[in-house]
Amino acid sequence: ASVSGFLSLLSFTILFLAWLAGFSSRLFAVIRFESIIHEFDPWFNYRSTHHLSTNGFYEFLNWFDERAWYPLGRIVGGTVYPGLMVTAGLIHYILNLLHVTVHIRDVCVFLAPVFSGLTAVSTFLLTRELWNQGAGLLAACFIAIVPGYISRSVAGSFDNEGIAIFALQFTYYLWVKSVKTGSVFWTIGCCLSYFYMVSAWGGYVFIINLIPLHVFVLLLMQRFSRRLYIAYSTFYIVGLVLSMQIPFVGFQPIRTSEHMAAAGVFALLQAYAFLQYLKDRLTRQEFQTLFFLGVSLAAGVVFLTLTKPSLPPLLRYAKIHIPIIASVSEHQPTTWVSFFFDLHILVCTFPAGLWFCIKNINDERVFVALYAISAVYFAGVMVRLMLTLTPVVCMLSAIAFSSVFEHYLGDDMKRENPIKQHPFYPVKNSSVYSKLIVTMLMLMLLMMFAVHCTWVTSNAYSSPSVVLASYNHDGSRNILDDFREAYYWLRQNTDEHARVMSWWDYGYQIAGMANRTTLVDNNTWNNSHIALVGKAMSSNESAAYEIMKSLDVDYVLIIFGGVIGYSGDDINKFLWMVRIAEGEHPKDIRESDYFTPQGEFRVDKAGSPTLLNCLMYKMSYYRFGEMQLDFRTPPGFDRTRNAEIGNKDIRLKHLEEAFTSEHWLVRIYRVKKQENRQALDHKLRNIAAKQKYTSKKVLPSRFH
Amino acid sequence: MQRSLIACFFRASLCAEGLVNEDVKRTLDLSSHLAKITAEIQLANHGASRVNGFTLALEAELAPHLAFIGVKGEEEEDESLELKETTVHGQSGKFFEAQLPSSLAPGAKLRVKVETVFSHVLKPFPTHITQAERQLVVFQGNHYLYSPYPTRSQTTRVRLASKTVESYTKLGNPTKSDETVEYGPFKDVPPFSQDAMKIHYENNTPFLSISSITRTVEVSHWGNIAVEETIDLRHTGAYLKGPFSRYDYQRQSDSGISSVKSFKTILPASAQDVYYRDEIGNISTSHLQVLDDSVEVEIRPRFPLFGGWKTHYIVGYNLPSYEYLYNLGDQYALKLRLVDHVYDDQVIDQLTVKLILPEGARNIHMDTPYPITRSQDELHYTYLDTFGRPVLVATKNNLVEQHIQDVVVHYTFNKILMLQEPLLVVGAFYILFFTVIIYVRLDFSITKDPAAEVRMKVASITEQVLTLVNKRLGLYRHMDEVVNRYKQTRDTGALNSGRKTLEAEHRTLSNDISALQARLKSEGSDLAEKVGEIQKLDNQLKDLVCRSCQEAERLVAGKVKKDTYIDSDKTLSGKRQELVSRIDSLLDAL
Repeated sequence: ASVSGFLSLLSFTILFLAWLAGFSSRLFAVIRFESIIHEFDPWFNYRSTHHLSTNGFYEFLNWFDERAWYPLGRIVGGTVYPGLMVTAGLIHYILNLLHVTVHIRDVCVFLAPVFSGLTAVSTFLLTRELWNQGAGLLAACFIAIVPGYISRSVAGSFDNEGIAIFALQFTYYLWVKSVKTGSVFWTIGCCLSYFYMVSAWGGYVFIINLIPLHVFVLLLMQRFSRRLYIAYSTFYIVGLVLSMQIPFVGFQPIRTSEHMAAAGVFALLQAYAFLQYLKDRLTRQEFQTLFFLGVSLAAGVVFLTLTKPSLPPLLRYAKIHIPIIASVSEHQPTTWVSFFFDLHILVCTFPAGLWFCIKNINDERVFVALYAISAVYFAGVMVRLMLTLTPVVCMLSAIAFSSVFEHYLGDDMKRENPIKQHPFYPVKNSSVYSKLIVTMLMLMLLMMFAVHCTWVTSNAYSSPSVVLASYNHDGSRNILDDFREAYYWLRQNTDEHARVMSWWDYGYQIAGMANRTTLVDNNTWNNSHIALVGKAMSSNESAAYEIMKSLDVDYVLIIFGGVIGYSGDDINKFLWMVRIAEGEHPKDIRESDYFTPQGEFRVDKAGSPTLLNCLMYKMSYYRFGEMQLDFRTPPGFDRTRNAEIGNKDIRLKHLEEAFTSEHWLVRIYRVKKQENRQALDHKLRNIAAKQKYTSKKVLPSRFH
Repeated sequence: MQRSLIACFFRASLCAEGLVNEDVKRTLDLSSHLAKITAEIQLANHGASRVNGFTLALEAELAPHLAFIGVKGEEEEDESLELKETTVHGQSGKFFEAQLPSSLAPGAKLRVKVETVFSHVLKPFPTHITQAERQLVVFQGNHYLYSPYPTRSQTTRVRLASKTVESYTKLGNPTKSDETVEYGPFKDVPPFSQDAMKIHYENNTPFLSISSITRTVEVSHWGNIAVEETIDLRHTGAYLKGPFSRYDYQRQSDSGISSVKSFKTILPASAQDVYYRDEIGNISTSHLQVLDDSVEVEIRPRFPLFGGWKTHYIVGYNLPSYEYLYNLGDQYALKLRLVDHVYDDQVIDQLTVKLILPEGARNIHMDTPYPITRSQDELHYTYLDTFGRPVLVATKNNLVEQHIQDVVVHYTFNKILMLQEPLLVVGAFYILFFTVIIYVRLDFSITKDPAAEVRMKVASITEQVLTLVNKRLGLYRHMDEVVNRYKQTRDTGALNSGRKTLEAEHRTLSNDISALQARLKSEGSDLAEKVGEIQKLDNQLKDLVCRSCQEAERLVAGKVKKDTYIDSDKTLSGKRQELVSRIDSLLDAL
């Protein structure tokens, strides 16, 4: 009893330390900068959580956000996965109930690091079910610090993935547990966890396809059992009903093709169980006829269901050719480098773990094998799906390491006592050194892994991207706070209902930090609206003015990196704007117009005249031509593109500079109101009277 | 009410009787965005009776903007006189009655210094300027001292912010040099005389005003006072017209000359952990300088403030409580500034002070240096609070630098209450650990799991089997030693006795093991077979031991040669090792 007590204390301590290590290694950004929400999407999540915590849950579900997608607005309650906001809101509510007066922002900032600890615990549980306690502890330690997961869960990165990975791992743990025990208790737990996952992230589709796949493969392997039948039947029905409770998911689980595999496997499982039941009661002849009848019927049904849905899942990836999806960097295919960068040594060792699992196969190891294979496939398709690969890689590598250690460390320990007791036992002196070497090697690998993880976390994944920092020669730090400077100016010094036009990347940040109405934002559901903004940016000023008038734009915000050499600015993104605009308005915007005859995209004198006179160019370089950054370069030298700009004499007719941040990173222009019209002659006035009063909004096609 | 008004009127007229302003020196300081008007007055009692006080008057146009008024005696160290607001029948404006410390005898003279500060009286004109233009403001006032008494002689000196003056009223041919305009002397001015003075001049000093400030002071008896100020700041100068060009602002030093880039806030010397932030995070453009007698924060808003622009921020810091909190037994007194410095020549349009006292503070009494509106007390809950901390809320409008004065709050607090919070934490942990202990130690399952019980039983039996088998193997080793000793000593008796004990102990051990094997079998464990196998192997092993024993006997007896004995011993021990390893592997499998 004391040994088991000691073991559980040890496991508890290791898990606690893993939690602590995972939590603290995610705090680089908070320590270097401050407790702030990062990037783009988290700003929306934060804003909705803030809304939830100030106005209550029902108000949040019914929230119509009139500050987004002007003039369309957005029904937020019905278009988000509310799990993240509800989790943060609930934690905030409970803490405040206990008079722990934490600001909702801090709850949001530290949510992902806290949940990474829960992920470590659930990974431990899952791996323990698959292999043993030791492997579980190793897996927990791996997942706590592996960069592939940290990239999505640093403090301040308040995004769905932060809690979804926990939900994913915990659902899988409960699923494995329910397959092992065949108890409805565990299956219901699995369903609840699945419900949480559905509420948190669109990646729940991965679960609802992987579990049926597991069941299907088990059937193929002749591993059908009553436990499996109970587990899957309960999971499918309860999970289906629960998942449909999320407004955003609604009836998708019974309509879309992604969910059809689950339904098909459910039907198959029922049929299989029924046949098993009949087999004991019918003669061979009767059984055969029934079987053929059944198979043909099933084939017909399957045929009908397959032809009906228009888009099989694979076609979704064809959407990658739509510019707006392709323009997002995290939708690019994964390179080998990023596999190693995010997983380091684990990417090499996890096949070994997979091999160990397949060698000693059982029901749940079939599951982890399928998990690994599918996750590897998805991670290869898209960079951001690396996230689903990471947990399984950690588990399998942990199994591999654990087996190696067990072999090279464990045996000696076990036999130490018998050796002393009797002399007949042969001592294998020869292998001690090889054991030592192997163990040292493995420990070295693990140490290098830890070092790599910390390095990657510190260097690649701990920048808030809202605040930039540059370092001087003496190591002192300059903070470039231009984004917040400009957003705060908008918040304080523009009309409360002012409408700000910007490229969609900045929509969430403007809504979150400036609290102003935006035309388009990171929830890119309406391509034509985005294309209209893209068209305004890529047209000349007067054409753009017409579009801006029709959209009631008051301010235009752009990001310009030419002064400090910031490469993620709007001129560098400009071709995507042109492409997206061209997709909707091929007559007005042509991508080829923005290239030189040689097919280059240049901002200097050799650049195409269309580019040099489009609104984006003019706004970016307005008065930049007079600015001499240093003595080696001519005035108007763009540091990002290393070129002297081609159009230095920029005059704006319909816009005026409203604000430019200290390092020119953010430039905001005011759209001038139309000037008073000239007094008209009496005669003219009579003629015009009929037309003049038609609203501009009614005829938007005039401007296209 | 009626009676008191009449009384007031009578007193006012009584005071007025016989008093004359012999000599008045007025200074209008218009060099900032405030109008600071100081008047040094020599009062003479020309009446027949002693006078206890006198009346001060303010013009009706300026009166609503009055932020501060104070009257002092001639000497610097003189206490300021107590002021009471009154009315004067038939005259417009605002009136204050000043009480003299000692009454003024007929014919006696007295010098007083009246200090007044008016906010928002300098009006930008033009009201909208571009970034390149300079800010011009207009001041409209009175050439004379507005007084209920006749004035014998007076001069007025106006200090401006710059040399550039567009226009000024020319009453009495004033002299202008650099930044000052001097009017007067004016002789024999009757009471309540007014003559409009108008000065239009350039003033680029920061026209900042705090439209609202909320100062929250949270007192903890654990040694800390946390102060937090939430400030809404506004540039009240001429509005910016047209574009804001960052290029011009960066390249030309006089571009946006009236804009405010930064200012200094002076915090108490012991201020620590200063933070400066707003709704969207830390404001990185600030510097902190710790001086001997204060802490200076260079507050730089995120963006320069032009006319009409505003910003909002929070400044907070901690103070050690021993400098501000005094106690005598359970009686406590908190003494700190009601409002603190934000920037030089500050104007606060609206102030809200919230004093959060420790949980359990009673008999609260607040002494303010000047009248202030108290609102309903509130309750505040923060870490580890149960019934809430009392919060004193007070508000006041239109404050200037002269209002930076101390407030004293008296309250009683039972020191035992300080233990409440640590005990709460201890209790919470106690409950947590106790729950864990109970959960781990007690069995809460509603059904017994027979399989688990069997498993546990089997485990305990196999453990016993293991120890017994090991003991048995130990017997053989012991026997070997006996045999070896026998080979040297040739003591047959010892050998036989050794053999006997071996037999006896071996029998009991084997019996025990078979009993355990039977129990395993009855539990339905398949380990019973393995134990049976071990028993079988052990029998062979024992035979071998016996044989080696016999061989040794034969060797000693000389029945075999040494060579053959060694050979046979070798084979025997080889067989034995094989058996032992097989038993070991079986044991491992248990």
